[in-house]
Amino acid sequence: MIRVEELEKHFGALHVLKGVSLEVQKGEVLVIIGPSGSGKSTLLRCINLLIEPDSGRVFLDGTQVNRRDIRPEWVRQQVGMVFQSFNLFAHLTALQNVTLGPIRVLGTDPTTAGAQGRKLLARVGLADKADAYPAQLSGGQQQRVAIARALAMNPKAMLFDEPTSALDPEYIREVLDAMAALARDGMTMIVVTHEMGFASEVAKRILFMDAGRIIEEGSPEEIFHSPKQERTRMFVGKILR
Amino acid sequence: MAVGTILVILILQTVLRFNLLDEDLWKLYLPSFLDGIVLSLRYLGIILPLSVVIGFTIGWARISRFRTLSWPLSVFVDFFRGVPPIIVVIFAAVLGPSLLPARFQSQDIGIIIAALTLAMHSGAYQSEIFRAGFMSVPRGQLEAAQSLGMTNGAAMRFVVLPQALRLSIPPLANEFAVVIKDTSLLAIVGGFELFGSSFIFEQQILFSPGNQLSWIFVVWTAVALVYFVMTFAVTELLNAIDRRYHVKGLEAVTV
Amino acid sequence: MPATFDEQRRSRVRIVDILLAILVTVGILAYILDVLALRWGLSTAYIGRSYPNYLKAAWISLYVTTIAYFIGMGIGFVLGWARSVRTLPLARVMAARRREAVAAADGGSPGAGLFLGTLLVYGIKYYVRRTADAYVAIIRGTPLFVQIVFVWSAVLVFYPRLDPLLQGLLAGVIALTANTGGYQSEIFRAGIQTVHSGQVEASRAIGLSRWGAMRYIVLPQAVRLVIPPLTNEYIGLLKASSLLAVVGSVPELTTFGRSEAFQTFHIFEAFALVVGIYLLITVPVSKVVEWIERRYRIPGLGIQASRTARV
Repeated sequence: MIRVEELEKHFGALHVLKGVSLEVQKGEVLVIIGPSGSGKSTLLRCINLLIEPDSGRVFLDGTQVNRRDIRPEWVRQQVGMVFQSFNLFAHLTALQNVTLGPIRVLGTDPTTAGAQGRKLLARVGLADKADAYPAQLSGGQQQRVAIARALAMNPKAMLFDEPTSALDPEYIREVLDAMAALARDGMTMIVVTHEMGFASEVAKRILFMDAGRIIEEGSPEEIFHSPKQERTRMFVGKILR
Repeated sequence: MAVGTILVILILQTVLRFNLLDEDLWKLYLPSFLDGIVLSLRYLGIILPLSVVIGFTIGWARISRFRTLSWPLSVFVDFFRGVPPIIVVIFAAVLGPSLLPARFQSQDIGIIIAALTLAMHSGAYQSEIFRAGFMSVPRGQLEAAQSLGMTNGAAMRFVVLPQALRLSIPPLANEFAVVIKDTSLLAIVGGFELFGSSFIFEQQILFSPGNQLSWIFVVWTAVALVYFVMTFAVTELLNAIDRRYHVKGLEAVTV
Repeated sequence: MPATFDEQRRSRVRIVDILLAILVTVGILAYILDVLALRWGLSTAYIGRSYPNYLKAAWISLYVTTIAYFIGMGIGFVLGWARSVRTLPLARVMAARRREAVAAADGGSPGAGLFLGTLLVYGIKYYVRRTADAYVAIIRGTPLFVQIVFVWSAVLVFYPRLDPLLQGLLAGVIALTANTGGYQSEIFRAGIQTVHSGQVEASRAIGLSRWGAMRYIVLPQAVRLVIPPLTNEYIGLLKASSLLAVVGSVPELTTFGRSEAFQTFHIFEAFALVVGIYLLITVPVSKVVEWIERRYRIPGLGIQASRTARV
C-alpha cells in the first residue's frame, strides 16, 4: 500500500537519505529503529510529503504521489501522522482538536464531526476529557488525543514518529496500548520508536536504519536475536539490556 | 496603586503649593479640558485601529520567504523606529498637505496627516510585535495542521493565527498606551487635543495678570491624571482580554 | 553530489528574490526622494553649508541625553532595587518577627515595643514602596510632553528671571532624568528579579550571606542581562530629547531643525538633515544591540523589554 523507492534528501551539505526504499502492505505494522540522526524522521516526513525528497518516488496504493500535479494536502489526508511532541493545537479543546480536520478539510458538518470525535476519544480512552485543553492533560493523554485527531481524518495508514520518546515513563504504556489496539483493528502503520517491547509484540517487520540507509530488514526475532549485519548487532546490543 | 498616586499628588501639592480642586480655576478651565479630552479620544479612534491594521499587515508580510516583500518593509520599520515621532509629525503636517491638490491644503488637513503618520509610526512598532507573535508559535503546530491535510492558508487561519494573536496581546497593551501618549504630539502642529488645549490655556494664565500661577500646576496635574487613567484603562482592558483568551503553556519569545 | 532539479530551481529563485528585493527597496526610496525633491526643491547648497550647525545641535541633544541618562541611572538603580524586593503581607511579617523575638529572648514573651517598632518600619517601607511604584507608574503612564511642561512650569514659577536657555535646560534635564529614572528602574528591577529567584537560595545554601549572594551571584548576572535594554533605553532617551522642542529655548537637534525650517523655508532639507542624523545614530546602535542579543542570548533568560517608549 505504501512504497518508496530510492529516496534521496539533502539538507544543505548534509546527506540525510541515501537511496532508501521500503514497502508496507495493507494492515501491516512496520517498525523502524536506528540511532538518532539516521534519517528516520525525515523518511517518515517524505512519505506524507511534509518534506519534499530530492529524488525518488513515493507510492500510495500503486499511484506515485510525489508529483507536481498531485496536491500534497490530498496525500496527507490519506496518511495520518503522530508526532513526538504531540503538537496538539494549544488553543483548542481535545474535542476541537479532533474535529478541526474533518470540519475544515473534509467539510464534515460540525454535529456529525462532533459525534465522531467523541467516539474516537472514547476509543483512546479519553471520552471524559473532550472539553479539556492540552495544557490540562498529561503527556500520555495528549498523545492519545493526537492519535484520535489523526484517526478522525479516516486515513488509510498512520505514521508514528517516536510517539513515546517525549513521555514520562508512567504514560508510555497507555499510548502503546492505544497503538496496539489500532494495529489489531487492521490499521496500516509505520512506527519509528525505541520501544523494543512494542516492536517485538506488534510489528510484523522491523527495519534498522543508520546514516541514511536501511541496513537490515527482518522479523522481530531475526532482528533482535540473530541480526545479520554488524551494525545491527551493535545497535541492538546497546538497546536490549 | 491608588494609594501611591494620591500620596504623590499630595506631596506635589505641598511642595509646589497648589490646590488640585481650586474652584475658580475649574470654572475657567473645564470647557477646554473637556473639549481636549473629546478630541483626544477622536484622534485615538482613528489612529489606534489604523495602526493595528498597518502593524498586522506589515508583520505578516515580514515573515514571508520573499525578500522582495520583507526587505522594503524592514526599511520602513527601521525608519520609524529610528526617528523621533515628533519630527515626523511636524514635517508631515507641514509637507504633507502640499502633496495633495490645492483644494485640500490647510492646517487641519496637516493635523490629520500628522495623525496618520502617528498611525504609521505605531504600526511600525506593532509589526515587530505581530512578527514576534507569529514566530513564537511552535513550528510543530504548523506541521500538525499540514499533516491533517490542511492547506497552508487553512493552517494559518485556524491554527497559527489564533495563537499568534493571543501571544501578541500583552505587548500590544503596552504599545496602545504609547499611542495614547503620542497623541499629545499633535499639539505641536496645532491639534487641540488634551495637551494642546491645556497648553493654550496655560499660556493664557501665564500672560494675564491676576490669575494665580499655581493654577498651572493644577492644569498639568489634571492633564497627567487623565492620560494616566486612559493608559491604565487600556492596559487593564487588554490584560483582561488576555486573561480570557490566554493559552497556557504558550509564551512569546524575544525576537 | 549533483544538485537536483528542485535544488537548482530553489537557489535560482533565491538569487532573483534577493536582486529584486534590492531593486525594489532602492527603487522605492529613490522614487520617494525624487518626488519629494521635485515637489519642494532640494537645495544641496543649503545642506552643504548648514550641516555643521545641525551636527552641533545634535551634539547638544547627545549632551542633554547623556547627563539625564546617567543621573537617571542612579535613580533607576536604587528604585529598581527597592522595587525588586517582594513586600510580604503584614501578618506574615509580624509572625516571623514574633518567632525571631521568641527565639532570641529564650522563651520569654517579646515586648510591645518590638511590635510597635516593626509596625512603624513596616509602615514606612510600605508607603515608600507604594510611592515608588506610583512614581514609576505615573512616569510610564503620562506623556513626556506633559512631564516636561510640568517641570518647565515649576522652573518658570520659581526661577522667573533665569535665562530662558537655562530655564529650558534645567527643566529638560530634570524631566528627562525623572523619566529615564522611571524606565530604568523597571529594567533594573526585571534584571534583579530574573536572576534573583532560586539563585539567592542556592548561594545561601553554600554559605553566602544575603549581601554576599547579592554581590557575587545576583548582580554579576543581572548586569549582563541589563545591558541590552539599557542601551536601547539610551537610544530611546535620545529620541525623547526631541520633545524639548516644546520648550523651544534649548537648541537641540529637533528644535534647531524646526526653527531652521520655518526661518529659511528649506523645509525638506531641514527635515532630511534632522532625520538623517537621528537615523545615523540610532540605527547602527540598535542593530548592534540586536546582534549582541541574538548572539549571546541564553535561551529562557532575558528581559522582555517592551518598547521603552516614553512619549
